[in-house]
Amino acid sequence: MSSKGFLSSPTNRRSFLKHSVGVAAAGTFGFKLASPAIAKETTWTLANSLRSLANPYHATFSKGGADFAKTIDAQYVTLVTEGNSEKGISDIKALLQRTGGKLILNVDPNDSPDARVIVNEVQKAGGYVVTQWNKPDDLHPWDHNPSYVAHMSFDGVPAAKALALQLFKAFGGEGGVVAIGGILSNVPAIERKAGLDQAIAESGGKVKLLDFQAADWNGQKAFDVTQAWLTRFQGQINGIFAANDDMGLGALEALRQAGLAGKVPVVGLDGIAGAVKAVEAGEFAATVAWDPLWTGGMGLAIPYAAATGKIDIAKEPKEHREFYGTSIMVTKDTVAAFKSGGAALDFNNLWSKVTGPIQYRG
Amino acid sequence: MGAVLSRAAVAKMPLLARWRNWAPVAVLFALCALISILSPNFLSLANFVGILNSAAIPTVLCMGATFVILMGSIDLSIEGIVAVSAVLVSLLVDNDVSTYSIGLLAVPIAILVGGAMGFLNGFLHVKLKTPSFMTTLGVGFAGIGIATTILGGFTARISDQSIRYLSLGRLLGLPVAAWIALGAVLLALLMQERMRFGRWVYAIGTDEMTARHAGIPIERTRILIFSIAGMFYGLAGVLSVAQFGQGHALISQGRLFSTVTAVVVGGTSLSGGVGSVLNSVIGVFIVTVLANGMILTGVPPYVQQGVQGLLIIVAVTLALDRSRLDVVK
Amino acid sequence: MEPVLEIRGVSKAFPGVKALDNVSFSVGKGEVVGLIGENGAGKSTVLKVLNGIYKPDSGGVFIDGMSANITSPRDAFDKGIAMVFQEQLMLPSLTVAENIFLGREEEFLKYGLISKSRMNVAAAIELSKVRLNVAPSTRCSELSFADRQMVEIAKALSLDSRIKGDVTILLDEPTSVLERKEIDLLFEIIKDLKQRASIVFISHRLEEVLAISDRVYVMRDGKVVFETTAADATVKGLHQHMVGRQLHNEYYREARQRHPTAVPVIEAQDLAKKGRFSNVTFTLHEGEIIGIAGVIGSGREDLAKCLAGHTAIDAGVLKIGGKPVSFRAAYDATAAGIGLVPSERKIEGLVASFSVAENMTLAAIPKFVSGCVLRFALENKTARDWVDRLKIKTPSTGTMVGSLSGGNQQKVVLAKWRVAGVRVVILDHPTRGIDVGAKEDVYELIRDMTAEGLAVILLGDTLEEVIGLSSRILVMRDGEIAATFNAAPGNKPTQVELVGHMV
Repeated sequence: MSSKGFLSSPTNRRSFLKHSVGVAAAGTFGFKLASPAIAKETTWTLANSLRSLANPYHATFSKGGADFAKTIDAQYVTLVTEGNSEKGISDIKALLQRTGGKLILNVDPNDSPDARVIVNEVQKAGGYVVTQWNKPDDLHPWDHNPSYVAHMSFDGVPAAKALALQLFKAFGGEGGVVAIGGILSNVPAIERKAGLDQAIAESGGKVKLLDFQAADWNGQKAFDVTQAWLTRFQGQINGIFAANDDMGLGALEALRQAGLAGKVPVVGLDGIAGAVKAVEAGEFAATVAWDPLWTGGMGLAIPYAAATGKIDIAKEPKEHREFYGTSIMVTKDTVAAFKSGGAALDFNNLWSKVTGPIQYRG
Repeated sequence: MGAVLSRAAVAKMPLLARWRNWAPVAVLFALCALISILSPNFLSLANFVGILNSAAIPTVLCMGATFVILMGSIDLSIEGIVAVSAVLVSLLVDNDVSTYSIGLLAVPIAILVGGAMGFLNGFLHVKLKTPSFMTTLGVGFAGIGIATTILGGFTARISDQSIRYLSLGRLLGLPVAAWIALGAVLLALLMQERMRFGRWVYAIGTDEMTARHAGIPIERTRILIFSIAGMFYGLAGVLSVAQFGQGHALISQGRLFSTVTAVVVGGTSLSGGVGSVLNSVIGVFIVTVLANGMILTGVPPYVQQGVQGLLIIVAVTLALDRSRLDVVK
Repeated sequence: MEPVLEIRGVSKAFPGVKALDNVSFSVGKGEVVGLIGENGAGKSTVLKVLNGIYKPDSGGVFIDGMSANITSPRDAFDKGIAMVFQEQLMLPSLTVAENIFLGREEEFLKYGLISKSRMNVAAAIELSKVRLNVAPSTRCSELSFADRQMVEIAKALSLDSRIKGDVTILLDEPTSVLERKEIDLLFEIIKDLKQRASIVFISHRLEEVLAISDRVYVMRDGKVVFETTAADATVKGLHQHMVGRQLHNEYYREARQRHPTAVPVIEAQDLAKKGRFSNVTFTLHEGEIIGIAGVIGSGREDLAKCLAGHTAIDAGVLKIGGKPVSFRAAYDATAAGIGLVPSERKIEGLVASFSVAENMTLAAIPKFVSGCVLRFALENKTARDWVDRLKIKTPSTGTMVGSLSGGNQQKVVLAKWRVAGVRVVILDHPTRGIDVGAKEDVYELIRDMTAEGLAVILLGDTLEEVIGLSSRILVMRDGEIAATFNAAPGNKPTQVELVGHMV
């Protein structure tokens, strides 16, 4: 998951100001009506709920939703939580009321518990919802037919492991690495660290983890940390593993200051444009893309299919109700294909990128 | 609150005051000594360069914030102004989103834009008689919103080498950004010590009534100080783009808290009237050296935040003049 | 010859108080004019009008015979008037030189930057005029209290070399913080100044005023009541003019004044607080009202705050009900049975946004708690009882106390301490800002309290009040008890007798 929200602890006045500016900012993006004056899809309204449009993942996530809405000529709304759970939930409730419950919602909840509340509200109003990334372990779509259509996520553990292996390959499989983690309590941070640990264990001692520091998904913190590492582990660092691209890019700039950009490989996750460019330039060994176009678009296409009766969601198997998507490993070899392909999603082929059911690792 | 002091308090003051003034420097010294014992690498040139790189942007930010805080106000718009400045700079020089290419001309533009936003802060605060807490909060949020809207949440990566030189370049072995920060410090010092409004800031921050009686133009000074602070934040925006090679709306995330922390740790009082820009420079270095030192010495990540919190409490306790506080809110 | 500075028929009113009532007053060239009067007589207000801090409601200020509109202290300065305040206004983080020339730095600009060396040189000249041997670049935070006062005076005197024409210096109690040596020095400076400037001098020490002044004005209740040359004046005569009014026995309910019992409630022995008061010894009995008279700076307000536990005493023994106590905070005093009705009632005595009932129970909340829950019913009943007993005019016990009139607010504060069950009530200027009718109610309440065995320490607004209400009177001056008077009904001391020890 990408960068976190801004000044996330609300006071009454701050909330109010945030709402106004958030709505103003969102207003320039969301609430877009389809270009023709009369939309073809008049029953259902589509909406994506996300943390903030100020990060590339969510900006593309929203674009994915808009792309799908265009194909069916429906009204598309963007709801922005700004890192505030209460705002996220109340915005959804307001939209449910406004649309009389005729809402197809694709939501990336601010925090896991929010998912339960949102699912209940949508179910009460008779809408359809898909959740992304965060939900409580005991909340399952098949317990809330037909409203709760699916939960989409990406498995951080194998993705991170594969990524780490790419990193090791880049420096010849033997040496020291340093790792930068996200906010220590976040599930993605825990998953990605686990994946790295697995890769290191598999190296049979050939790769050593010199140090692990948390930079809280923040590129600037990663910059500071990496500078200090370069002093502490002079000459011993063969590769840098970052739990997201923002931090990886921060680390890369620190390397650049020391004249080591391109000489010490870096890897990150999220597949943002900056990281892809770095892969092309040989400064990143690889990055993993979560395909926000897919999560943003398919996350609406699937519930829409359920709402319009194209599929009977209650009859779909469990791995179509809770599933991991396909992450894309972007390396020097695959970057060209990555950049050209994946642009047009086939919204009729709903399950093409499903890799498997969600696992609960406790 | 007037500057009324009892006889007894004043008699005690000279010794304590002198000691208290040097507390931040002593803390910095002790910190450096401790770290270099545990990790001799600390004293290497490469590490020093790293520390300067990390400290450059916070230092410039603190120059602006210190003036505002000395005056008894608070500036919550730092992140917003830096964001607007950074985003504008990244779009005006060679980059991968737009076609402008004005090179170093972007620097004065960024400073002016920052100054304009700072002016807005001061103007709203003075003319609408709204507390600076609220006006700067509003301008700050608006700034992030504007920056987000301009770039649509994406990042503009710059390829302009002259801008990148501001961070990557070296003069006499030290980063250009550090020299720029030094320039900012000297300029701030000059303003604080030798310009009238610099002295007036202390008067307004200590006792506005006395300042008013003395004929000091309080409203004008307030607006001027916020504008100047905005200019420093604009400069910091340029340096941020230079350092990270990109501009985006969240580039300054977390800077507000670290700036105010550095100011407070350095010994400037949040209630105004006491402190100096030099104090804030010390504060920045204390915070930066501590973070650097914790990694050099291998302090576990879980513990680091706790240590930073402890540092803030210690530094503030040492520096605070408690004899002046009747009501502690 | 036209007086250098004159006010004619100036009146100034503040909410509830007429501070100046048709005051006329003049200062001649090279003259030292003394201004004396009781607390609240209006002396400081006159100076503040002259200095541009207050605008008169009516009447005018004349400089060299011509009408002048003084808009601010800075404007007054430019017109040749400078004032040294009673409260210190030096800014600690700035240097001596910067304080002296605060707001007037244009004089020292070179290419837009302040030339510190030139400012320091100029400051040194001013400092030499007051013979203060301090480097101009010293931070004011490092100076002693007295030195700061001298810098304040130097600041006012810097007028001298900068304004062409006549110059007037206003001094508001400049000596109250100075030692003997410094006072002598100040007098020398004033004598020296007379050749070039005129001076207005306020002090509560009459001998000082008579020693230095050419003429003296006496003020009382916002009016000028007497004017004389220093040569013709006597201390006793001045005292007489300072007090003047007749006492009403009935007003203070003297008939209800009880004889105190012999049970001591407070025994104070050699109480002292550095810089405020010393050698304070007295005993307060049940049913007794001890009035403490004194001007500002006499130490009586500080004593009251110490007895109520708000500040600590540095030395001495304090016994409550026979047991020695040491208060660490106000709640200790409350627990020991002492309540303070403060002079700043709105800020210190009440929580304006709370209701009448909430304020009344504020000091005794434990009595209204059962388990962990407030017993609102009991709170309200208690409040209603007291509203009746004290005849408090309020729409209900739930009304916000901030909306009541001053007199009724004061009754709520008194009720608070009755509810808390204190044995001693310390009244600090209890009738300040209250109209006459309400004042009588308050006096009645005070008599009620003593009738029920409470003891009272009274810092009265006026001497008349102190004399009328008290069974005994302590007169404080410069931190010590200067005299004690018995004040049995029918055998009260006169105001003149009291004033003689106050000033």
